[in-house]
Amino acid sequence: MTVQVALFIALAAVAIVAAIGLLRAKNAVYAALCLVSNFGVVAVLYILLGAPFLAMVQITVYAGAIMVLFVFVIMLLGAEHLEHEDHLLLQGPLGWLLGLGLAGLVTFAAISANLSAPAELPAEVSANFGSPGSIGHLLLTEYVFPFEVISFLLLAAMVGAVVLTLVQREKKARRSLRNPQQS
Amino acid sequence: MTDFQTIDLLAILPEIALTALGVLVLVLDVTWRGKIRQQLGVVTAVGLFAIAALTAVFTYPAESQLLYGGMMRHDLLAFVMRLIFLVAAGFTALLSVDVDNLGRRGEYYAVLIAAVIGMNLMAASADLIMLYLALETTSISAYILAGFLFNEERSAEAGMKYFLFGAVTSTVMLFGFSLLFGFAGTTNLYQIGTTIQANSLAITVIAVLVLVGVGFKLAVFPFHFWSPDVYEGAPTPVTAFISTASKAAGFAVLLRVFLIAFDGTNLQSASNWLPLLTSIAVVTTSLGNLVALTQKNIKRLLAYSSIAHAGYALMAFTAIQSAPVQAEAVAAVVYYLVTYVLTNLTAFGVIILVAKNVGSDDVAAFAGLNKRSAGLSLAMLVAFLSLGGIPPLAGFVGKFFIFMALVKANLLWLAIVLAVNSLIALYYYLLVLNVVYNRPVAEGATEIQVSAPYRVALTALCVGVVVFGVIIAPFYDPITRIFDLVK
Repeated sequence: MTVQVALFIALAAVAIVAAIGLLRAKNAVYAALCLVSNFGVVAVLYILLGAPFLAMVQITVYAGAIMVLFVFVIMLLGAEHLEHEDHLLLQGPLGWLLGLGLAGLVTFAAISANLSAPAELPAEVSANFGSPGSIGHLLLTEYVFPFEVISFLLLAAMVGAVVLTLVQREKKARRSLRNPQQS
Repeated sequence: MTDFQTIDLLAILPEIALTALGVLVLVLDVTWRGKIRQQLGVVTAVGLFAIAALTAVFTYPAESQLLYGGMMRHDLLAFVMRLIFLVAAGFTALLSVDVDNLGRRGEYYAVLIAAVIGMNLMAASADLIMLYLALETTSISAYILAGFLFNEERSAEAGMKYFLFGAVTSTVMLFGFSLLFGFAGTTNLYQIGTTIQANSLAITVIAVLVLVGVGFKLAVFPFHFWSPDVYEGAPTPVTAFISTASKAAGFAVLLRVFLIAFDGTNLQSASNWLPLLTSIAVVTTSLGNLVALTQKNIKRLLAYSSIAHAGYALMAFTAIQSAPVQAEAVAAVVYYLVTYVLTNLTAFGVIILVAKNVGSDDVAAFAGLNKRSAGLSLAMLVAFLSLGGIPPLAGFVGKFFIFMALVKANLLWLAIVLAVNSLIALYYYLLVLNVVYNRPVAEGATEIQVSAPYRVALTALCVGVVVFGVIIAPFYDPITRIFDLVK
């Protein structure tokens, strides 16, 4: 138990430092690196929680696919160094203050609530907890309805993405029809 | 999970039908060419009204029950709210028909239908996971709708602003959900309500975090900053939809989460967060009305007025702190939402037509509207007097029930705040009506043509506003049972 707690504190510290680094980095590539280390550390936290499948999904989807997209966008736009002028004078310090205040409040509330594990939760998880098989079983039994709603949500988002980008392309096509020599 | 039963299908009948309608609209969008595309909106509206009728006839919940492994609850609150969303979306579709770059695009109606499905599920969710997914379905569709006219800078800005605000607030709310799960050990709202302890600081903190997300949907202070810009920039039918149905969906979530998960029926646990809700309601109402006084743009004016209206409904909700008035308080919220949705849709319907004719959203564009279209100025009169709370229109009855609930709950000071605010609001509503009826018509202005879909929609809405202001008991009596059935 104590090893787990020590490991959790160390990993959580890394995750927080990486998240802050992401926000503070002036260079987009550094920000991306901070993000990927945050994803990686969170994946390890999932393993600590006894959810290895979730950890693997976190690595492949977030640290893999999504990060590659980010890096490609940064590369293609050549946006490593963003022209950065700080218009926000008060907001920065205020954000720190409020963020730390919230963190303190939540911590205080959690400690003062005198947490005890709910009675119905078993102390030890079963052997196949968090395995792909059991997650799949849950997804198609207890969570089948939310599962279907996710697919619908993705469909709506996809239609939206197509609509919002198509408009621009149409406009461009029309422009190049009008001035064929320019394109 | 138990065996499959008919009720499982009946409970999601509206969503199944809506999905079919959405697919139909997308198919028609591809196959229809030319002038017939005008009918896309009409098809959507007819479909939505038909689904509303289907919902009303077949899905009335004989008994409240949890379905799909506790994900959804089939009860009166969900039933009434679904009808509100479906009808509001039907009118929105009708009012979109002639809008440039919007009315003839199937994707627009498909995304609108997606938003309605999200809202329906928001009202029926009984589980944090389900609730979050429903909220996101609604929100993401709404962001797309707000930014739909991507070529227009204002619409794109509205979509972006809405998205950024929504993403941040929903993250905070998700954090609250995760804490709630941590404390209760379950994601089911009904189980959470029985597990968490009353009177703890942690519950107050969690309630605040959840309130961030819900407050964004309601556009109440201090989560209202997005709404004037989004309402002004978004295509007007979308503004009408966001300011009515989306707000009502927020209230559906507020009612269920705060009554059940945060155990609002138990006065001791409600005292954790009720003072906060009360102060938010007072500040929201006063701020909305005072800032609305200075607005020159009619969409911004209605944005601030709708902030104030959310405050009124929130005031009604705070009357649950008196045990005998709880059912009345909830009924007052729901009745107010019905009247507000009908009234605001009427107002935006007129604005769409005038703005299309004049090309401006300024209050000045309405000068002498009564000489340019008697029907439109009458609809404007009905809408704004109802917003101001003048009998015999629906807005008056809505406010009356809130007032009654507050007085019965011994919240006289809140009732006075409500009355003073109604007076301030009436002043700026009458200022607009003064422009409509007493200002000279601008030179070169022509009569405003009202096409058939708009005529049908505005007539039906005006009739609705009058009916809900005159025939009260048949609508009010059933919804007083919502509170008992939601528990």
